[in-house]
Amino acid sequence: MMAQEIDYTKAFEELQNIVSEIEKGEISVDELSAKVKRAATLIKVCRKKLSTTEEDVNQILRELDATPDVS
Amino acid sequence: MKFDFLACTFIGRKYLLAIMLDRKIFTLLDVAQSVEKTLKKRYTSSFWVKAEMNKLNFYNHSGHSYPDLVEKRDGKIIAQMRGLLWKNDFLRINKAFLDTLKEPLKDGIKILFLAKISYTPLYGLTLTISDIDPSYTLGDLEKEKQETIQKLKGQGVFQKNHNLNFPLLPQRIAVISVETSKGYADFLKIIENNPYNYKFFLHLFPALLQGDKAAQRISDQLKRIKKLRHHFDVVAIIRGGGGDVGLSCYNNFELASEIANFPIPVITGIGHATNETVSEIVAHYNGITPSKLAQFLLQKFHDFANPLKEAERKLVDKSRQILRDEKSTLLSNVKLFRSNTENILNLHHHKIGNLAISLSQQSKFRFKSEIDILNYSVLTVERESLSLLDHQNRSLLQLTQKLDLGSHYKIREHSLELSSIEKNVENMDPRNVLKRGFSITLHNGKAVCDLSQIEVGDELQTLTFDGEIGSIVQGINKTKI
Repeated sequence: MMAQEIDYTKAFEELQNIVSEIEKGEISVDELSAKVKRAATLIKVCRKKLSTTEEDVNQILRELDATPDVS
Repeated sequence: MKFDFLACTFIGRKYLLAIMLDRKIFTLLDVAQSVEKTLKKRYTSSFWVKAEMNKLNFYNHSGHSYPDLVEKRDGKIIAQMRGLLWKNDFLRINKAFLDTLKEPLKDGIKILFLAKISYTPLYGLTLTISDIDPSYTLGDLEKEKQETIQKLKGQGVFQKNHNLNFPLLPQRIAVISVETSKGYADFLKIIENNPYNYKFFLHLFPALLQGDKAAQRISDQLKRIKKLRHHFDVVAIIRGGGGDVGLSCYNNFELASEIANFPIPVITGIGHATNETVSEIVAHYNGITPSKLAQFLLQKFHDFANPLKEAERKLVDKSRQILRDEKSTLLSNVKLFRSNTENILNLHHHKIGNLAISLSQQSKFRFKSEIDILNYSVLTVERESLSLLDHQNRSLLQLTQKLDLGSHYKIREHSLELSSIEKNVENMDPRNVLKRGFSITLHNGKAVCDLSQIEVGDELQTLTFDGEIGSIVQGINKTKI
């Protein structure tokens, strides 16, 4: 779960970078198509993150049982 | 012997035993009644006492309370007495507490109370409480709060939870609340029915949220969550619907410390306290109400989603812009290229035109000059030829004259010579020879010069000056030469 967290944070950062590159006009027309394609993928990844979660309640409950109670 | 009960209370056991040796024996009730009588006489009025109320000991069905009152020094109890709070007094005082402190009467608070000592043989010594000053307790609670704050600051952890990086998407939330609480329901309603299709993962860790035991229960759940923290982005402590009372537990040092030191951000929505509690202050974010806390979480999603939208918009706009710019640059280049080529063509066209004119002018000029030269040459040739002709004519004339003269001379010379030759020729004419008697003998038409060609019997012709003689050879006599 943690790894995925980093992934979407990175995806978001990469997206911001692409946008700022394009904004600053640092991208040539030759690169444009590839960059826009990549950005679209990143947006998809981030959007998906907003609307899904893969946390498993059963797994948490199992772990909760496995660790001795502190109280 | 008359007992001084009051004195007895304060004298040693040994002395009492000594007195008992006199064998005067009392019943327990005798002693108790004596104590009761003495105390009643001695303690006639009420007085203000400060003490810690260790336990309230509220009895639900009677409505009376029997507080355990203690005084501590260095954490050890150095005095304790039982208190009594009648139902009506309890209700009145509890209301005053709720109004002033937002806290009910409860265990573990310091109180300043108006009390009267009472003693009954059955229940013993009791401090009957007729009033409690809420402002004293308020000050004490505030003091506890300040102490908690100072202690956390002293440990350097006061800002610790604040300083954690809040996750970009607080998606997995460990909720400390009560399933049936209205606050939790409000929170769930907003989070789970959000119209943006934001997905959260919530897991409830149930705990008491107000009153004396709350601090311990919440701390325990926090410790459990700590072990599962890789499953969660934030912890939300949610309370609500329970009124604004019993929140002083959130000033508890252990709880506040647990929150301040918590490895992931803790956010709170525990309702409208008059003053923010220490737990709320040290938490990463205090939403105050559960609804506002839910809105805060949604806002975090917006904060992520909006830049995403913005990024998408910028991406589309800027890409289009770049393409537009490139296109217009291309078009202007084409235009420039066209106009430049047109200019060059025009220039060359013009140059060629000029050259043509110049060529034509030059040729005309050249022709004219050549014609002039030619004309001049013609004239020269004409003049020269005329002169030559004239010269030749004159030479010819001279020659003619010379020829004329020469030929005349030559002709006369040759005439003379001819006349002389004519004379000679005339002399040699055979006719003239024949005249003089000579003849010519012919054999077969040819003059006979050699007699060997003639034989006897041959017919011969003899030419003479005035005719011909035919003859036949009869003999031949050859003359020796």
